[in-house]
Amino acid sequence: MATRTLHRRSRTKEVLTRLLAYLAILVALILTLFPIYWIAANSFKFDIDIFAVPPEWLPRNPTLKHYQEAFIQRPFLRYALNSFLVAVGTTIVSVVFGTMAGYALARFHYPWQWRKQVSFWILSTRMMPPIVSIIPLYLFFNYFQMLNTKSALVIAYTAFNLPFATWMMKSYFQDLPVELEEAAVVDGDTRWGAFLHVALPLARPGLAATAIFCLIISWNEFLLSLIITLTEQSQTLPIGIAGRVTQYNTYWGEISAAGFMACVPIVIFAFIVQKHLVRGLSLGAVKG
Amino acid sequence: MLKSASDGTSTAQSQPGGGLERWAERHLRYLMLAPTVLILLALTIFPSLYMFYAAVHRISPNPDLPWEFVGAGNFARLLSDAQFHVALRNTIVFTVVAVTAEFLLGLGLALLLDKFIRRLTFLKTVLMIPMMLPPIAVAITWKLIYEPQFGVLNEIMYRLGLPLQAWAGDVNLAMFSIIVADVWQWTPFIFLLMLAGLASLPVEPYEAAALDGASSWRQFWDLTIPFLKPVIAIALLLRVMDALRLFDLVFILTGGGPADRTKVLSLYIYQVAYRFADPGYAAAISLFVLFVTIVLSTWFMKRMRLAD
Repeated sequence: MATRTLHRRSRTKEVLTRLLAYLAILVALILTLFPIYWIAANSFKFDIDIFAVPPEWLPRNPTLKHYQEAFIQRPFLRYALNSFLVAVGTTIVSVVFGTMAGYALARFHYPWQWRKQVSFWILSTRMMPPIVSIIPLYLFFNYFQMLNTKSALVIAYTAFNLPFATWMMKSYFQDLPVELEEAAVVDGDTRWGAFLHVALPLARPGLAATAIFCLIISWNEFLLSLIITLTEQSQTLPIGIAGRVTQYNTYWGEISAAGFMACVPIVIFAFIVQKHLVRGLSLGAVKG
Repeated sequence: MLKSASDGTSTAQSQPGGGLERWAERHLRYLMLAPTVLILLALTIFPSLYMFYAAVHRISPNPDLPWEFVGAGNFARLLSDAQFHVALRNTIVFTVVAVTAEFLLGLGLALLLDKFIRRLTFLKTVLMIPMMLPPIAVAITWKLIYEPQFGVLNEIMYRLGLPLQAWAGDVNLAMFSIIVADVWQWTPFIFLLMLAGLASLPVEPYEAAALDGASSWRQFWDLTIPFLKPVIAIALLLRVMDALRLFDLVFILTGGGPADRTKVLSLYIYQVAYRFADPGYAAAISLFVLFVTIVLSTWFMKRMRLAD
């Protein structure tokens, strides 16, 4: 009898805990999604309805006016294309070189404890706050007449993504068993061949996670682009959006439309790659 | 491991191909590392040296005037610059409060999902969305929510019968508003790393602990936290490094105001360099920030043994 009440009480407690947990997750979901919903809702409202008091929770007269302004009258498509090209360029450079360096640091022996020193130095370059290197980079690009070019942005972003890519791939390769590569070398493959044919395919989840992070970081970057680019031909989407917050007026509708459109590809992308994101991280980088 | 191969003697000779190919194979360990090292050298050593050179000069906004050597003068200015002290304090407050909140919320959320709804990866991805959005879009979203006249936050306050606030425009609430927006964006990052860490926990110690009758609280403290320690260390390191260079949110949401309450170091450097046209002094402040960041992270990484 006594054990049964005890059992029942712990069951009630368990159900209660479960309910509380679901409630907490629900609250987190609402808080996560509401701001995104809000910017989307505002992008479909006429200006007068954006300023409505009390706010319209649902757009009463939905309109595509702001999308037309942003993408037909103003060059937001151009900005988005620039962002895309810069992000893809940076990701390719960072992942290719970062993977090679990460592999080398994970697998090879170097004289005089180089491995440790070089890894640490590569990591430490990531610590430099972008604002610190902006003035020299500006002058650097000015000297080589590369201001207002997308290549300048790719170079600048690579400086921030390459250490990260190297670091992630290094820890990923360290977690892979070395025996398969050894077997390939015994069977007559070169070291480079063992890297290409054996290690690289095994590291695919790590590669995917690294590439995803590089893409997101470069698609979103703001400060460097703000300083290095001034022309429509080179400016990225974040700068285009910020440009609509002026001293005299904030074009809320247009900004909401462009801001929402900047989020859409990233969110779609997130759902496509979600599997790699957690898997790539749980095998690699996070173990240190 | 791979001793013979990386030494490149016996195996390399047995390979087909010309002399160049054999040379490349023998020096592979340097060749694979070279592009990264060269790129990073070019892109970090040059800015660092230049910053140091600029920091010991007074640079006139007029490019025709020569730079005037002032030695440690720009660094000495840091001691008595009240605005710099304000920016430093704001940055510290922001970093400590925001990162602590993000860590607690991210870890809590990861534990909840890991324990109660493990299968729904869809839900996990939804919760990760904010960290992937452009910070500029995040800043503008929150600007719209905080707007005192027509913002949705004041509408909610009104419905709940609470006093309306100016949020990002209020002297006492501006920093809080920035922190909330940052927590919204970056809690998912901690959440993601913790989920990945939890996914790689071994099962056996928990089975043993359960047999010994250890409570779930004990299991959490004695097993989960020690196992997660390296992941926690990396997550905190990355977040602190990013928090120290906060820029976008402040630039759009408050511009550093009101009354300098949200003026952080990155924004101050930007103002000194571009608005006050004093790049020499901006370089000195930048070097200070760089120095503090490197000292802090090095100490932390040594302590957590992250660099091995």
